[in-house]
Amino acid sequence: MTGWSRRNAPGVAGAVIVAAMAVLAVVGPPIWGDEAVRIDAAAILQGASPGHPLGTDNLGRDLLARVLVAGRYSLLLALAATAIGAVAGIVLGTLPSVLPRRAARLATGTVNALVAFPGLLLAMFTAVVTGLGARGAVLGIGAAIAPGFARLTQTLAATVANADYVSAARMLGVPRRRILTRHVLPNIAEPLILNLTQALGGALLGLAGMSFLGLGVQPPDFDWGRLLFDGFPRIYVTPEVALGPAAAVALAGIGFNLLGDALARAAARTSVVRERTPAPPVADGAGEPDPGAVLEVRDLTVTFPGGVTPVRQLSLTVAPGEIVGLVGESGSGKSLTAAAIGGLVPYPGTVTYAALRLGGRDVATLSDKELGTALAMVFQDPLAALNPALKVGGQLAEVAIVHEGADRAEARRRAVDRLGHVHLPEPERRARQHPHELSGGMRQRAVIAMGLMGTPRLIVADEPTTALDVTVQRQILRLLREVVEETGAATLFISHDIAVVGELCDRVVVMYAGRVVEELPAGRLADGAAHPYTKALIASLPDLDTDRSTPLAGIAGTQPAPGQIGLGCAFAPRCPLATARCESERPELVAHGPGQRVACWEVK
Amino acid sequence: MIIKNLSVRFGAFTAVDDVTLEIPDGGVVGLVGESGSGKSSLARAVCGLVPHTGSVEGARRVQMVFQDPYASLNPRMTVGRTIAEGAGPKEVERLLGLVRLPAELAGRYPRELSGGQRQRVAIARALGGNPGLLVADEITSSLDVSVQGAVLNLVRGLRDELGLTMLFISHNLAVVRYVADVVAVMHHGRLVEVGPTEQVVGEPAHEYTRALLAAVPRLRG
Ligand SMILES: Nc1ncnc2c1ncn2[C@@H]1O[C@H](COP(=O)(O)OP(=O)(O)OP(=O)(O)O)[C@@H](O)[C@H]1O
Ligand code: SF4
Ligand SMILES: [Mg+2]
Repeated sequence: MTGWSRRNAPGVAGAVIVAAMAVLAVVGPPIWGDEAVRIDAAAILQGASPGHPLGTDNLGRDLLARVLVAGRYSLLLALAATAIGAVAGIVLGTLPSVLPRRAARLATGTVNALVAFPGLLLAMFTAVVTGLGARGAVLGIGAAIAPGFARLTQTLAATVANADYVSAARMLGVPRRRILTRHVLPNIAEPLILNLTQALGGALLGLAGMSFLGLGVQPPDFDWGRLLFDGFPRIYVTPEVALGPAAAVALAGIGFNLLGDALARAAARTSVVRERTPAPPVADGAGEPDPGAVLEVRDLTVTFPGGVTPVRQLSLTVAPGEIVGLVGESGSGKSLTAAAIGGLVPYPGTVTYAALRLGGRDVATLSDKELGTALAMVFQDPLAALNPALKVGGQLAEVAIVHEGADRAEARRRAVDRLGHVHLPEPERRARQHPHELSGGMRQRAVIAMGLMGTPRLIVADEPTTALDVTVQRQILRLLREVVEETGAATLFISHDIAVVGELCDRVVVMYAGRVVEELPAGRLADGAAHPYTKALIASLPDLDTDRSTPLAGIAGTQPAPGQIGLGCAFAPRCPLATARCESERPELVAHGPGQRVACWEVK
Repeated sequence: MIIKNLSVRFGAFTAVDDVTLEIPDGGVVGLVGESGSGKSSLARAVCGLVPHTGSVEGARRVQMVFQDPYASLNPRMTVGRTIAEGAGPKEVERLLGLVRLPAELAGRYPRELSGGQRQRVAIARALGGNPGLLVADEITSSLDVSVQGAVLNLVRGLRDELGLTMLFISHNLAVVRYVADVVAVMHHGRLVEVGPTEQVVGEPAHEYTRALLAAVPRLRG
């Protein structure tokens, strides 16, 4: 069994069961409807027989037919109850975010009290008050579901309500109701819908329970619960008459729960770990692997449909123990380059290359496990790399368990050790905390520690310090240096900040509009940069001697979008040295002094 | 406007400790300090986003630009709708131009933008609110140097043309020095030094200010 099918088997089973139930609900009554109500005085209260596999009831009606027919009614009632519960719950849960403060507190208190109240009691109470029968049962189960939904809505809404974009909208004077409908609800819809699936399973079981207690569906109507109720007194004599409906209820309940569970997990996963893109078509001319390079990229191209090509024939190598800085302005394709190396280019992007080798081997031939241990990726947003629901230590341990088959205790010990290694204070205690309990800098350390759970040969760090303050930024950079010196890992350090790159890195690769335009030793940045773009970048960096009375030397114009890059040098429209040739002919990257390569017609 | 005796507490922890700071009309005050020194908490308090004691007097229509461009845009709203929320649909193109983004971007969702592009959208949104005080919390730390220069020029231009009053927060003293008339240095929730920019940068009085000056990345010389 592959990893995928093992992980998704419950979800698939759930989907199959739910689909089968839906089909049954549609075709059941037309096919078996007549048989289910045909009274046969000669066959009263029988047990299982070839003619009646589940026996007959007190009017001689076939129980198998009745179970199959009851599916539609059971499911409809469950749907109605779930709809009532969900609507009531969502309304109740959103009240605190629209009401004035005092009323909001009252609403929150009500929800808390209701959540603490046993659901079954709530359901029975409501059912008795609103009258016996299907209507009462549906209302009762709806009432039992509502508090859970209200609580979930409230928690989700509170999280979103603290997001920066909601603060921004509030400061712009957007009315509360509009904030709710535009900013909060759309962003919490997904988890709510997933919860709905699970609630449906619960409602099905709950309704059966109500009918079983005699509080639900009354004759001559029947659902699974009612059939169970009718068959129950005979359970010692002919158990099959009760087991049939019981099995139907259990199966449907389990199906919905499995499906809801799998959907919820899939949704949580898509935002954290993306599936690897399929092996890219390999262009010819791959050549022999470079023995001195841990990472070797040649002619890497990333394309999106519609002629959008954000990365164009990019080549670079990183040697063991070397930190190579990849700089370039926003949108130049740095992150997509990193994503392509890790096999993480989002759908529908396609990746092609002449060579993309990690430790001499084509990354497409590496298994997930091999790639997972050889490559450590650190992103700008440490929260995206950590699952908010799991403790930090457990997440780190998971890496060793999944990739190296380490046992749980050993993996945990290593996790704490690695956390200490990245200078996280009190690693034992931090390992038991959730990501949100750590500061931004600590989280980034945890992510780096996660990368160190294996023995990475390559570290790809995409803007790892951009979201951090200067002092923490320095600590993280020092940590990266330390890790590189200790493990001899090759590092690709991506940043838009050429000053940081100049300080940290050994070599600098400058990107513009998806291509490398210059490559040079970091020490030569200050006075050896040759490409007009690199020079302009350095000139636009303010320092403590910059003249405050004149505008900063920026670069006029904007980088062309990845879909609008012409034939010539992409920098031509902004370049002070551009000639007619630059517009029509693209300069190749050629050697320019030791360790330096430049793509520009005007650099001789 | 003036911030008087402002404190922000989270439980037992005091993030901002009795800060008093004047931001003159049409002036730009730069706030520098290390991680956790309370800069962002002070900014959020001024914007009324966190509970605080003390007062903020004379600030109308405060808008804020946030540090993290990944969290500051609604993932389910297009760029155009985001900007139009404060400024109205007619202003979208002009505001995008101000932050040097092509008008075509109006139809895109944040996930289709690079990090730097997102931050520029957030700046355009705040400018659309016609702010009496603009609080900019590390707005250039995720921008490219080339764009950073343009944004800093823009910030100065807005101050000169519109008389925009600003609280400009950054960890980079070189950046703050370029836009601010007055620099305030924050350390452990307190202001340790406040003064005219050239004075603070040229003759730092506090030891911590000197440490910050040493942390400015340098390429030239
Ligand atoms: N999923 C996608 N679909 C279409 N275009 C995309 C997608 N992801 C990125 N792009 C485009 O590809 C280009 C390069 O994006 P990338 O994220 O690699 O830039 P970057 O150099 O990392 O920028 P930044 O410094 O802002 O992070 C941008 O123009 C971006 O809009
Ligand atoms: S090739 Fe021409 S346009 Fe391109 S950078 Fe060189 S001089 Fe400028
Ligand atoms: Mg990026």
